[in-house]
Amino acid sequence: MSGVSLVGVTKMYGHVKALDHVSIDVCEGELLALLGPSGCGKTTLLRCVAGLELPDKGTVEIGTIDVTAVPTRDRPIGMVFQSYALFPNMTVRQNIAFPLEVRHRPRTEVKTRVDELLELVNLTEQANRYPKQISGGQAQRCALGRALAPNPEVLLLDEPLSALDALVRGRLRDEIRRIQQRVGITAIYVTHDQSEAMAIADRVAVMNDGRVEQIAAPADLYDLPATQFSATFVGSRNAVELAVREGRVGIPGSFHIAAPEGSNGHALAFFRPEDVQISRGQTGDGMRARVELKIFLGPTTRLHLVGEDDGRPIAIFGDMASRQARLIEEGETVRVHVDPDHVQAFPILKAGQRGS
Amino acid sequence: MAVNIRRPAARDHGASRLARNLFFGAALFYFCVPMVAVLIYSFSTRWTANVLPDGYTLQWWQATISDHRIQSAFSTSISLATLTALIDIAVVVPAAYWSRVRNARIRPVVEVAAAIPFALPYVVIAFGLMQFSGVVAPQFQGTFPLLVAGHAAIAFPFVYWAVDGAMAAAGIERLSETAEACGASPFQIIRRVVVPNISSGLVTGGLLSFAASFGEFAMAQIIGRGLDTVPLWSAEMIRSYTDTAGSYNRLAVVTLLTFAVLFVLSAVVVYWNRGQTVRLLPGAAATDEGGRR
Repeated sequence: MSGVSLVGVTKMYGHVKALDHVSIDVCEGELLALLGPSGCGKTTLLRCVAGLELPDKGTVEIGTIDVTAVPTRDRPIGMVFQSYALFPNMTVRQNIAFPLEVRHRPRTEVKTRVDELLELVNLTEQANRYPKQISGGQAQRCALGRALAPNPEVLLLDEPLSALDALVRGRLRDEIRRIQQRVGITAIYVTHDQSEAMAIADRVAVMNDGRVEQIAAPADLYDLPATQFSATFVGSRNAVELAVREGRVGIPGSFHIAAPEGSNGHALAFFRPEDVQISRGQTGDGMRARVELKIFLGPTTRLHLVGEDDGRPIAIFGDMASRQARLIEEGETVRVHVDPDHVQAFPILKAGQRGS
Repeated sequence: MAVNIRRPAARDHGASRLARNLFFGAALFYFCVPMVAVLIYSFSTRWTANVLPDGYTLQWWQATISDHRIQSAFSTSISLATLTALIDIAVVVPAAYWSRVRNARIRPVVEVAAAIPFALPYVVIAFGLMQFSGVVAPQFQGTFPLLVAGHAAIAFPFVYWAVDGAMAAAGIERLSETAEACGASPFQIIRRVVVPNISSGLVTGGLLSFAASFGEFAMAQIIGRGLDTVPLWSAEMIRSYTDTAGSYNRLAVVTLLTFAVLFVLSAVVVYWNRGQTVRLLPGAAATDEGGRR
C-alpha cells in the first residue's frame, strides 16, 4: 500500500484551466475526499490519477513511482464510477473476476479471490445475477468489489453514491468506509455533497475553480474554514456583512473580533447557527433581534432573526434546542450572542454571499 | 396524466378496431400479393390469359434446383455476401470503436467515408474500381477477390451505422474506460467488452451488408465479368426470355430462394435482437429470481 502525490498538476481544456497547479499528498491508507461544486476540477483531478486524463503540467506519483506517463491499464488503481459501469454482458461474479482475468491470473486464484470479494461486498447470493437484475446499491457494491479485485494500491471513487436514493446512499457510504478501512487501502473520493465528504473522509480537500482551497480533517474544516469559499461551501453558516470600525468588526453587544487583513471598510463574518446563543427577555447583553420565523428541525429549531447594526438590518439564523424554542413566539424580541471564538471574518470578495 | 386514467381496453372501440384491422389487411395485401404471384408463377405451366394459371407443375423447381449453374451462382453469391459481411465487421468494429473512444477527431472522416457509397451510384464506383485495378492489379480483374473487395467497400456503411448506433446505446465509451481502469488492453476491451455489448448491431449490420452484397448487380456486372452471381444469372434469364422456355418461371423460383435465404437470416436477426434488447434494457427493475442462465 502506498500514498499518492500530486505535484503542480495543471490541465487545460482549450483556454479553460480545469486544474491549476494542484498539489496534494494523500497519505498511505487515508481516505481523502475531493469536495467542490460541479466544474471545480475534482473529477478531472481523479481522472488524472487514473490516467484517463493526461495533465498538461505536473506529476502524479503512486507510492514512490512517477506514473504520469503510465497508461491507465498499467497503473495500480481500482476505480468506481458514478454510473456503476458494470459490464452488462457479465454476471456479478464475472464482473469482479474481469480485472484478474485480463491479468491472466490462474483460474483457481481467480476463483478464491472472487469468492473473498463477494463476501467482502456482501454479494455472495447475487453472484450469478446480471447487472440489470440487481439494485443500484448492489451494483455499486459489485463495482467496488471489481475495483478492489486486483489488490490495487489506490482506490478511486467518482461520486459513487450520487445515482442512488437517499436511504441507500447513507448505508453504502458507511459500507464503503468500512471496507476501505478493513482493506487499509489509500482512497480518493470525489463528491459534491459536503455531508458525505465529512462523514467518510479522513481529510477533505475543498476545491474551487481548479484550485485546492483547503485540505483539512472534517472537524477542522467545519470549525475553521480557511477561506471564504470553504466557509460558504462547508456546513450551514451565517454570512453577515459588517462594517470595520477601528480595525475590528462585530455585532454590537454580541461579539467583536479583529478585522481580517485586507478588508476595506467591510468584512464578511461567518458563524454557524449552533454558535448563536439566544436568550429571552428584553434586558441584558446581546443584540436585540426580532424572531421572524421558527423552523422546527427535530432536535433543534432554527430561528430567523433580524437585528440592527447602525441602522442596517442584520439577518442571521440561530439554532436552539427545540424544547427551549417552544417558549419563543414568532415576532418576539430576543437577545443574541455569538461566541467570538467561532466567528471567522474574511475581506469582502463578493457582497451579499450567504451560507445556506 | 389524464391519458393514463383511461383503461387500455377503452381503445378497442369497434370502429377503431375495424379501421386498424383494415389498415393491417391492406398492408398485408400490399406486401404479400407480389410474393404470392411469384410463388404461383413458379408452379404454373402457363399463366397468360386468365386470373389463375392454366395448370400447375413442379418442373421449374426441379429443373432450377438441379441446375448446376444456378447451384454455383447461389454458392458464389452466398460466399461473396458472407465474406463481405465478415470483412466489413472486422474492419468497422475497431474503426468505430476508435473513432468513438480513442480519437473523436477521426469521426467526421469516418462518417463522410460511410456516406460515400450512398451518394455515388454503384456503377460509378465499380467503374472507378475497374480503372484503378486495371492500373494497380490487372490480374485481379474479373475475379472473385476483387468483387469481394468492391462489395466490402460499398456495404460497410450498413455495418458502420448499425454498429455505431449499438455502441451509443451500450455507452461503450464508459464501459471502455471502466475496462481500461480494470487493466484490460485495447484488444481485450474489444473482444470481451465491446463485441458482446454490441452484438445486436453486429448482427443487424452483418445482415444488411450481406443483403446488399447478395442483391448487388451493377458492380458484379462491371468488375465481376466471368463470375456467376444470382443477380447476374437473373439478369441473363430476363434478357433471354425468347430463347429459353420457362426462364421466367425459373426466375420466379430463384427469386423465392433468394427471398428464403434473406428471410431466414432476418428471422434470426429479429430473434437475436429481441433477446439482446431485453437483456440490455437499461434501468430495468431488479428482479428477485436467481440468474436466468
